[in-house]
Amino acid sequence: MEAAPRNLKILTGITIGLFVLALYMVFIYAPREAVMGDVQRVFYFHVASGWVGAVAFLVTAIAGGVYLAKRDRKWDRVAVASVEIGVVFTFINIASGSIWARPIWNTWWTWDPRLVTATIMLLLYVAYLMLRQGIDDPDRRARFGSVYGIVAFVSVPITFVSIRIFRTIHPVIIGSGDPAAEGAFDMTPRMLQAFMFSLLTFTFIYATLLWYRIRLGRLSEEVEERKMEMMSV
Amino acid sequence: MLLQEAPAETFSFMAFGFIVILGTMGLYLLSLINRYRNLEQDMELLDELSAKVEPSVEST
Repeated sequence: MEAAPRNLKILTGITIGLFVLALYMVFIYAPREAVMGDVQRVFYFHVASGWVGAVAFLVTAIAGGVYLAKRDRKWDRVAVASVEIGVVFTFINIASGSIWARPIWNTWWTWDPRLVTATIMLLLYVAYLMLRQGIDDPDRRARFGSVYGIVAFVSVPITFVSIRIFRTIHPVIIGSGDPAAEGAFDMTPRMLQAFMFSLLTFTFIYATLLWYRIRLGRLSEEVEERKMEMMSV
Repeated sequence: MLLQEAPAETFSFMAFGFIVILGTMGLYLLSLINRYRNLEQDMELLDELSAKVEPSVEST
């Protein structure tokens, strides 16, 4: 395997260190929640995963805009790499939320505005990855991906504000939520520190994975180009 | 739930949640490594093929 650049190795080391610390903070440093018990600990990585999803889709929209302006394929590589990571972490966000909901809401799933908008967002970006596969011309694929990535980003702020503008049972931890929300809790200082640290750690995880995924995309393009050269000989 | 004195016993749900979170992250990491290795093997194969093709092109 081609050696990773020195800065990527350093970033990987920092990310692993932060992740180990985050696990310590979530399981040991943060206290057990007084009502929900241990399942509340899922909240730290649940929100952090959602955060990574939102950041990833924002990066996709920005990279798409830059690609359309400059027509440089490296921005398309950034966009598709970011979508892939965003899809993985949005899936984690929804799945972990469902597991938390089972003992707290007494159901794995409910047609709540937040759950519905988050799932639509996930499906939109899964469709992005699937539709790209159907376009052979790389420039057309990149153009399509860029426009799609910008338009699909509308789903991200809608998902974020859904628990603040619609009647919902999903708790709003930061800011005021619907009084009908179930599972809300007041964070102690230690809980808040563990929460903020998880957000920081997952941001580093995103940056590290993005770098590796961009390298993968570059290698994939090189292999495709070589194959085309071989076929033309 | 609000009337109970002790926290709810939800350890198994927490464990399940973290298995899903860490398992999904681990699977994605493995997929990245696997795809990278496959591409490197493809690249090596293409190098070998082009080394074989070039002399035969020159001889013609």
